[in-house]
Amino acid sequence: MRKHAVLGAVLGAMLATIATAQAADREIVIGYQAPLSGDRSQYGEMFRNAAQIKLEAFNASGKLAGAKVAITFEDSKDDPKEARNIAHKFLDNSKVVGVIGDFSSTVSMAAGEIYAAEKMPQLSQTASHPDFTKLSPWQFRNITTQAFEGPYNADWILAAGKKTAAVIYIQNDWGISALDGFVGGFKAKGGTITATEAFNPGNRDFRSILTKVARQKPDVIYLAMFYEEGAAFAQQREQLGIKIPLYGTSSLYSPKLIELGRESVEGLHLATTFTPDNPDPAVQTFVKEYAARFKSEPGMFAAQAYDAVGIMLDAIAKAGPSVTRESLRDALAATTGYPGVTGATSFDPVTREPAKALARMTVKDGRFQVVTGP
Amino acid sequence: MDVNVPDARLMPDTLAPPAAFSGRGRRFAWTLLLLAVAFGAVPAAIVGTGSSYLAQIAITTMIFVILSASLNHVTGTAGLLSIGHAAFYGIGAYAAALLSTRLGLPFIVTLPAAGLIAALFGFLVALPTMRLVSIYFAVATLGIGEMIYVILLNWIDLTRGPMGIRGIPPIGLLGWQADTLLSRYLAVAVIAVACVWVLHRLTHSYYGNALRALREDDQCADSMGINVERLKIESFVVATFFAGVAGALLAHTSAYIAPDNFRFMESILILAMVVVGGLGSLPGAVVGALFMIVLPEALRDIGDYRMIAVGATMFLSILLLPKGMLAEGTALGFVRRSFSRGWATIAGGTPVGWK
Repeated sequence: MRKHAVLGAVLGAMLATIATAQAADREIVIGYQAPLSGDRSQYGEMFRNAAQIKLEAFNASGKLAGAKVAITFEDSKDDPKEARNIAHKFLDNSKVVGVIGDFSSTVSMAAGEIYAAEKMPQLSQTASHPDFTKLSPWQFRNITTQAFEGPYNADWILAAGKKTAAVIYIQNDWGISALDGFVGGFKAKGGTITATEAFNPGNRDFRSILTKVARQKPDVIYLAMFYEEGAAFAQQREQLGIKIPLYGTSSLYSPKLIELGRESVEGLHLATTFTPDNPDPAVQTFVKEYAARFKSEPGMFAAQAYDAVGIMLDAIAKAGPSVTRESLRDALAATTGYPGVTGATSFDPVTREPAKALARMTVKDGRFQVVTGP
Repeated sequence: MDVNVPDARLMPDTLAPPAAFSGRGRRFAWTLLLLAVAFGAVPAAIVGTGSSYLAQIAITTMIFVILSASLNHVTGTAGLLSIGHAAFYGIGAYAAALLSTRLGLPFIVTLPAAGLIAALFGFLVALPTMRLVSIYFAVATLGIGEMIYVILLNWIDLTRGPMGIRGIPPIGLLGWQADTLLSRYLAVAVIAVACVWVLHRLTHSYYGNALRALREDDQCADSMGINVERLKIESFVVATFFAGVAGALLAHTSAYIAPDNFRFMESILILAMVVVGGLGSLPGAVVGALFMIVLPEALRDIGDYRMIAVGATMFLSILLLPKGMLAEGTALGFVRRSFSRGWATIAGGTPVGWK
């Protein structure tokens, strides 16, 4: 009998300590689902690395008094059926107020259907599917699509005083969305499109397209393609002696473009979200920290995740230590001008699509450099 | 192998009593136990813990029980190694998704339609490939599986390609809709149990014996008057029908499908369930599905080494139990005894044949 009483007292004391600890410091959890094993695990690994840097910095900063934020990682293997299980696992955990992930659009949307029905804010760092943010008011993304990038580049070209453009695009769903985005934005602001030419994926011979396009003398040629084709295109343009300046989508942004294209890509302009060379102190802090801890230079994907975590932590701080799934969603929707490493980010309160101030770059002296003027 | 037990019908009357001796009670006990787990214990656990995670895993498991049991029918029982099963699962899912979102057909129509459409494709695939044996048939199904995946990915006008199809309505019947996870689980469980029951009657019968005969030696079976080609086609069509049904369940429970759900790795996963459970053993296929879905989830907490642990467990299970967790011979004897499907030759003796 006495034994029981002692045991009871000890247990009671333990419970009391736990209770007071909880009252003092509430634990807020962010669920992070990403492929940590399988074919796409390298992306999940980058996301986790970047997220840890951001989280530690946030908890050390004391922006959120009275609560501590933790991130729980779950491995989705880039498999929709695992993602659905994870979604329910996070939903069951009352400490989880918001979810970041998944990597691919298909998997993000498989889980997204569940988050939409059960009311959990979800922020994907990479899902670019046009329907993702249309699932419900609970979905957000931190990646710009061609529907944003096209008009952004159109404005940039027009501001530089160039009024006519020819568009060369790759014949696939991405290329078509890039074409639509740019042409729509360019025409709306008073520009003229002289020609739009498609090529099939795998094609490396652009001479006929170049000759045809050059005859109409557009002010610029806009390239919606990837670096392999971009380098081949630039070289053939040089060989044919065509001097029309090149602009391109962010997909061309790769050191390989310069490696393959050499002098021919000099003067090519493009806008991108993240570049490790950006002199912005926020970018430099991130790049140095990442390189020191993980012995590799962070790429675009790590940066997207770093900012996605930052945006969610910022929203949690704004909602305060008593944050709920509901209040976090509202705080996320109110994100304006978040100073991230992928450009200042704002979410449209209605469509929840991100708008970013992109870094404008050009190839100069054999490397990408940030353009400051128009 | 004790699959080749003598056929009771060929025995003298004195040896084969007219009625089963092994008591009816035991048959009902096992049937009741299985039904109690599917419709009693699991729903009780879902309600008791209030865990939607558990419900989701239970739904996924039930869908994979159908897939694994149906693949076992063609690969285990009839001996045709198919490594394109996920493609028929995909056809069923897309059929159900398109029929319900584009034509607004109800679940009661899309479910059988998905099965029939998948079976039709299975029939078309079976016609030219049935003359292929062993690994050649496997490679043919691999090719067809990839072809179907690529078609789902690229026929954008119909399937919306990588965009997938969303807004698929939940399971419903005459105005009732499975809105909660529990009701969704129950609906899926009812259909899964029905599918397994049909496969059970097909496998545990003289028809099943014929399938096993052509697996062991199709020329010999042919010479005994078994129509080998027809049986092979039938078993493939039956398996693809149930794969289509599983696809319809996936579409209606997850609301969103995309070609990534039906990749090659999914076929391999289903095959692994069949092999780990016991090739040719229907109870094994069910246990294998349970094992392969629940194990990776149960090991979630060990983090990065999770899939290594899953792989090691599979490796050890196949090393120590090469015939599977419930080997075919054991399973057949178990079904004969415990579900009273065999003829008891003498009181308390080993039951033989099929009722």
